[in-house]
Amino acid sequence: MSERITSGIYGLDELMGGGFRKNTINIINGGIGVGKTTFCLQYALFGLNREDKALFISLEMSKEQIIRDCIALGFLEIEEHIENGNLKILHIYGEDLTFPSISLIDMIKKNIFQGSHNRIIIDPFTYYSMFLEKDKRKSISTIFQNLREFGTTIITLEESENINSVKAGSMMPLYLADTVLRLDNLGFGEMFDRTLRIVKHRGSKHGSSLYPYKIESGLGIVILASEHDISNVTPTNKFDKEFIASIKESRTNDKVGEKLAKRIELLRNNWNHIESPEYILNLVKRKEKIQ
Amino acid sequence: MYRTRLEQILDDLYETDGVDACIIYRIDGVPITVRTPLDSTILEVMFWLENQIKHVLRNMNKEGLKATTFDFKNYQILITPSSKSTILATIINPNAHQQLISIEIARAKSIINICVS
Repeated sequence: MSERITSGIYGLDELMGGGFRKNTINIINGGIGVGKTTFCLQYALFGLNREDKALFISLEMSKEQIIRDCIALGFLEIEEHIENGNLKILHIYGEDLTFPSISLIDMIKKNIFQGSHNRIIIDPFTYYSMFLEKDKRKSISTIFQNLREFGTTIITLEESENINSVKAGSMMPLYLADTVLRLDNLGFGEMFDRTLRIVKHRGSKHGSSLYPYKIESGLGIVILASEHDISNVTPTNKFDKEFIASIKESRTNDKVGEKLAKRIELLRNNWNHIESPEYILNLVKRKEKIQ
Repeated sequence: MYRTRLEQILDDLYETDGVDACIIYRIDGVPITVRTPLDSTILEVMFWLENQIKHVLRNMNKEGLKATTFDFKNYQILITPSSKSTILATIINPNAHQQLISIEIARAKSIINICVS
């Protein structure tokens, strides 16, 4: 299993197989006022308090605004991390970025911390992606590939209120990212007004429900998943007997036996359903021609 | 915790005789929590329901209705708003004890309202 980077969001990692995968691009997508920047600040500070370094590229808010909002949320340690040089906040205007954006990558390259894991945040990527044409997929893919080498990145992307104004290019980051989390806020003042959905999380088991969340002073975003939600993504050893028998049987196949046994072992380690795997295991046996 | 209580109330409703599935939807039609068997006909009903829920709600509001019933294939679907932003949909067998189920739905509805408000 790949190394995990904890998100710093209370209640989220257990729904995502332990957190973000190291050196990946993770997008937080949502409308105005859903808590995208709060998510980023929590992600950065959680790592900073545990020896990680963070590079915050703000394409909208100034450094002073970010510090002020952070303090308002109760994340008082932000100034200490800036003073110690563990957190760099760069403020640039989205309009000033060229395309293809070598300048953005150069800027990150110059400011990246050597010898530590980097938490990179780009908030928001919206202005930049809004002007992307469909055929620029390769260019944005190159940017993402560079970012993956530098560290584990969080990018926020604002959802357009008017669906007709959404260009195909502005959806591109969502296709190319490793993880997409969708935040919503309906504004009725009830539990399911603010919700999080894990749209995709490549190479990882994840919850597929709608999870309510709150933004609490001193804590930031807190996901309110139920025990039922958590048990839905937690592997169970209830069917070990069936899996072990299948692994044994698969080894009797000379050609693919060992490979298949490893796959079934992986399935066993990730089985989180309440129903028995019998049907699936029989299907595999039939297809792989195991007697 | 309210979130767990919400799951419990749906479990209780699902266990009532004659209830084949129950779903809490958010007002925008997104399912919040679902209890359903692995049955292709029920899944078909749910698929239909997910596409209709927003329109049904709009019309219920327009007409001032407190609940709506649909007959779909061999099922009856009872739709009732459970709070400002949630809707409870219960899929029942038409031969079920309607009165008992409506009492259970009313109970579930009031607890959902307390949990989410």
